[in-house]
Amino acid sequence: MVRISNKQIALSFNRGTLLLSVRSPEDDGNLPHIPNTSLWTRDSRTGTLRCDAIYYAGVSRDLARQFGPSLSDEVPKPSRLKWPKVKLPKLRSNQIEALEAWSSADCRGQIIMPTGTGKTEMALAAMARTKIATLVVAPVRDLMYQWHRRILAAFDYDAGIVGDGLSNIKPVTVTTYDSAYIHMARMGAGFGLLIFDEEHHLPGRCRREAAIMSTAPMRLGLTATAERSDGLHKDLDWLIGPVVYQMPFKQAEGSILAHFGVVRIPVALNPREQATYDQCSRTIRHFMLSRRKEQPGYTWRDLCKESGSDPQARHAQKAYHLKNSIESRAAEKLRVLEDIFRLHKGRQILVFTGSNAMAIEVSRRFLVPTILSHTRKRERLAVLEKFARGEFPVLVANRVLDEGVDVPEAKVAVVIGGQGSTRQAKQRLGRVLRKSGGARATLYEVVCENTKEVQRSRQRRKSDAYERPVHRRV
Amino acid sequence: MLTSDQSIVEFKAGRAIVDRLTQSTHSHYLRYAERMLAIYRNGKGRQRRQLHREIESLFADEPDCPIRRIQAFCKLLDDRSIFRTDSYGKAAKLRLKVFAEAARFHPLVEQPDRLFEHNETKIKTQLADELGLPWSEIEQSLYSDVMAYQTLERFEEYPSAQALLSRYNVAQLQACLYRAEKMTVIATDNLKTILRYAKLAKLMHDIVRLGPSNYRITFSGPASVLRRTRLYGVNFAKFLPALLACKGWRMTAILKTPWNGAARLNLSDKDGFTSHLLPPDEFDSSLEESLAGKFGPERDDWRLIREGEILHNHQKTFVPDFTFRHEDGTQVLLEIVGFWTPEYLSHRRETLKQFRHQKILIALPEKSLREGARTSKNVLVYKTTIKLKSLMEALERIRIEKK
Repeated sequence: MVRISNKQIALSFNRGTLLLSVRSPEDDGNLPHIPNTSLWTRDSRTGTLRCDAIYYAGVSRDLARQFGPSLSDEVPKPSRLKWPKVKLPKLRSNQIEALEAWSSADCRGQIIMPTGTGKTEMALAAMARTKIATLVVAPVRDLMYQWHRRILAAFDYDAGIVGDGLSNIKPVTVTTYDSAYIHMARMGAGFGLLIFDEEHHLPGRCRREAAIMSTAPMRLGLTATAERSDGLHKDLDWLIGPVVYQMPFKQAEGSILAHFGVVRIPVALNPREQATYDQCSRTIRHFMLSRRKEQPGYTWRDLCKESGSDPQARHAQKAYHLKNSIESRAAEKLRVLEDIFRLHKGRQILVFTGSNAMAIEVSRRFLVPTILSHTRKRERLAVLEKFARGEFPVLVANRVLDEGVDVPEAKVAVVIGGQGSTRQAKQRLGRVLRKSGGARATLYEVVCENTKEVQRSRQRRKSDAYERPVHRRV
Repeated sequence: MLTSDQSIVEFKAGRAIVDRLTQSTHSHYLRYAERMLAIYRNGKGRQRRQLHREIESLFADEPDCPIRRIQAFCKLLDDRSIFRTDSYGKAAKLRLKVFAEAARFHPLVEQPDRLFEHNETKIKTQLADELGLPWSEIEQSLYSDVMAYQTLERFEEYPSAQALLSRYNVAQLQACLYRAEKMTVIATDNLKTILRYAKLAKLMHDIVRLGPSNYRITFSGPASVLRRTRLYGVNFAKFLPALLACKGWRMTAILKTPWNGAARLNLSDKDGFTSHLLPPDEFDSSLEESLAGKFGPERDDWRLIREGEILHNHQKTFVPDFTFRHEDGTQVLLEIVGFWTPEYLSHRRETLKQFRHQKILIALPEKSLREGARTSKNVLVYKTTIKLKSLMEALERIRIEKK
């Protein structure tokens, strides 16, 4: 241990970073040799050393070891919590296994379990065990409020909320990825545990800053599928910790999740739609061909660039958007939906759409409730409750309900439009597959024939959740 | 401010070229701007999506107009508009009521048969009767709380069509700065304003004096020394209008391109952008104005410069009101304390302590001094105005002391 006479080494938190400075009567400001030199950068703007807050745990430990009482650690510490009464269901064996794996990895790591296998319960158990100030980060507002409710039910604790126009930081707080990015500079110190729900949202170029700007030593990431098409999921090892537990999807099916079937329903565009669609396709093809004659390697990106100055390019771009909107809003889809509603009369049905506009269109046609990203809390709760009680036969949602929002007792789901990524497919399936009774769940995919959507549907089924899809016409 | 998906910027040979509509390149846009303003001016009671569609159709035959530009215009017009908000949740209540009523008829079918007898149109008419409103009206209000379906209540106007285009040009620069990692400003004037607004935008600075009244100030944020980050892009964007209102500067921002490369955005006060902020006041107080008037630009080999030097120590800065520069190179700074409170005086004293090695004269009002208080030799005490004679004496004393 090095004693430095009269010198005080101060470690402090500064808007998402750590500052190391020397305070001495001589005010020479020269720093002695410090451990983990590579993590620190000299900052001439403040006359201190600076490093990212994510390194706090290791950095503070090593500094304390070297400087002992000369070190003044001024970083706000997370408060310890007491949970007098914890109401949590008994964990299943795989949940216990996951929790133990995380604990023995110094409470830093990712747990990968399919939707509906109780990730939230596991995370609440981790909170009950660590008893330290915790920040929960969820992808969307709905999920943030759901965490708030679950925490209230489990610990009888009214958690703080940062997001949706609120900014109320408490020892246990829930937030969204977007709000965490904006506010972490001021709330980065003071939490001991970070929980990243649906952690695959974290590694994006901006959102990752939330993890980097926090001093929390304990981190828990939860997802059904961590992988991202851009490969950035590799960075989760650094931002959160290594994968400590992974439950394969097949194991989940049948045991915890209900059995399910996938039915793909191809719909045809009506003659008018088809004519417009084909016309648009031709416009785009002709334009691209003629450009490629002059400039081999001409891409869609070039087209977008040119669309500002070249009316022909702009025309092609418009055709592309029109094609997309025909696909996602084909009139025939509403007719198919009617057939599905007839077929499953008396059953709760979830409908997922590719856009808000389509969701509203379905709602207006059948007079059934929607949940959209801007649906307020009170209506959202009323709709979910009435749907759960069977008072509403159908619930229409845009992508909002994609991930983890609890919708009990839905045995039939319909997907109209949407993106063709594996992760979305798994999560959408998870919605319908929640264990409830023995009945078999069904997922319908309504896609336009002779369009790109068919291709997307095939891509979706590459996920191991869609093993043998049944093709049939209703 | 715009959103980043309304930003139009081209990256060419390491330079960022931001979309700009000028008199010489886009003179015909003035007419468009007038017509856009007219649409919103006459748009009371119309839905947001209808207004946007109308703006869009205005440009239907315009070869030179990307979709993003139209969306940006819509955003700037919406920024000055007040739309009816459904604060009491009327639409939500109506929805719950209608859907609850309709649930017993589910599913509403097009062609009724023996099993499913609820025809869509029939049931809707029936529900309308029960609610005592025509169905068309119900359908109108059913989703009136969704942004796109909100109706315009009031449009607060732009001062002119030209002002809308000016605002567009600045807004595109701001949106481009969302990508900025660092900004370097070389400034000779309005130093106080530049530093004050940068501080308001929560930016950190690194100041290098290039010469007399000539500074290079690099702005960034806390984490900028650690890695390339766009964390402070919004801060740069917020700062820009203040910089545009100043004179005597040029600026370079380092931007991150969509392909993770780097590009530069170069700007200066000569580029002719019009900020919606007013240029900084020439003088903070009449006291300063009268002194500058009495002194003139030059007197007895001393030149007077307004706010010409920055004193800085890490993130603390201090720009004294006047700099006096003698032909022989001596430089004396003058800070005038006009309005004062005890807290303000002690705060000023703290700041000055940090810069005690500088030659600073402080002009203090006599009223602020305690009875019989002794003042140091660098303090000029004044009653109502600063006397030229005592100022010149003090300047000369400091100059001779130096020798």
